[in-house]
Amino acid sequence: MAIDYEELVPGQRVSRRSYVLDGEMIADYMAAVQDESGMLDSRDSERLVPPMSIAALTVGGVVQDLQIPGGSLHVRQELDFVRAVPVGETLLCEATLMQNSVRGGWRFMVLESDVQDSQGRKVMAGKSTVILPVPGEDSSGAEG
Amino acid sequence: MKPGDRLPLVEKSVSQEHVESYARASGDFNPIHVDPEFAAGSQFGTRIAHGMMVAATISEMMTAAFGGAWLDSGRMKIRFRSPVYPGDRITTVGRVKSVRETDGGAEIKCAVEITRGSGEVAITGDAIVTVSTDRSSEPSEQK
Repeated sequence: MAIDYEELVPGQRVSRRSYVLDGEMIADYMAAVQDESGMLDSRDSERLVPPMSIAALTVGGVVQDLQIPGGSLHVRQELDFVRAVPVGETLLCEATLMQNSVRGGWRFMVLESDVQDSQGRKVMAGKSTVILPVPGEDSSGAEG
Repeated sequence: MKPGDRLPLVEKSVSQEHVESYARASGDFNPIHVDPEFAAGSQFGTRIAHGMMVAATISEMMTAAFGGAWLDSGRMKIRFRSPVYPGDRITTVGRVKSVRETDGGAEIKCAVEITRGSGEVAITGDAIVTVSTDRSSEPSEQK
């Protein structure tokens, strides 16, 4: 079912997903970003995931759940990494709409995300600003 | 570390294969990244890399500079200024803006920037990390 963005209100939870950070997902992520930092191999014998892989899942979940259309722009991102996460951990990622407004042919959506591990401890928080073209309006003037 | 110190440079090439891998890992299959026909009709005229995929190099740079402290206390605030295209080579740089002492450590604020091969700025922002006093004095800046 298509989403009517006009109907979304600040304070509304727009995404809630659970993920297992398994080896396959991390392998795909590491291949994509070519991470060579070499700092992810051990801490108390646990292999740690790159923190941006958690952000990738969180933003990806929002893109899917909000059916963000092609032509939209991700213009700003804030991230707070609170706790390192080992491979194999299960995470709960939630996103809440904080702003939903239209100007200049674009819909501005600000989303706050919160990620917890399987013990309910916060591991990451984020704030994303995404702009969507408004159908029927001229959206050519936005910055990328 | 002190204001003005440079962080380890990160350089890499971005390919469509990397973009496809990132789409699988993140679940973000927005057509602007993976559908050549759709992307050809977009404002960019071709497929573009996920902004968060490109931004991952900032985290890699901060991990190289500050190790586990970045995983536990890293913060960043970035702005996506222009797209990165498959085939681009990107360069990620950072320098220390300020060092503020805290209880048992220091909060280090760095300016970060990613440019693409043409020199166009793709991402700018700040990255902040809290390190123990011992860790902050390690010589991890680029020579």
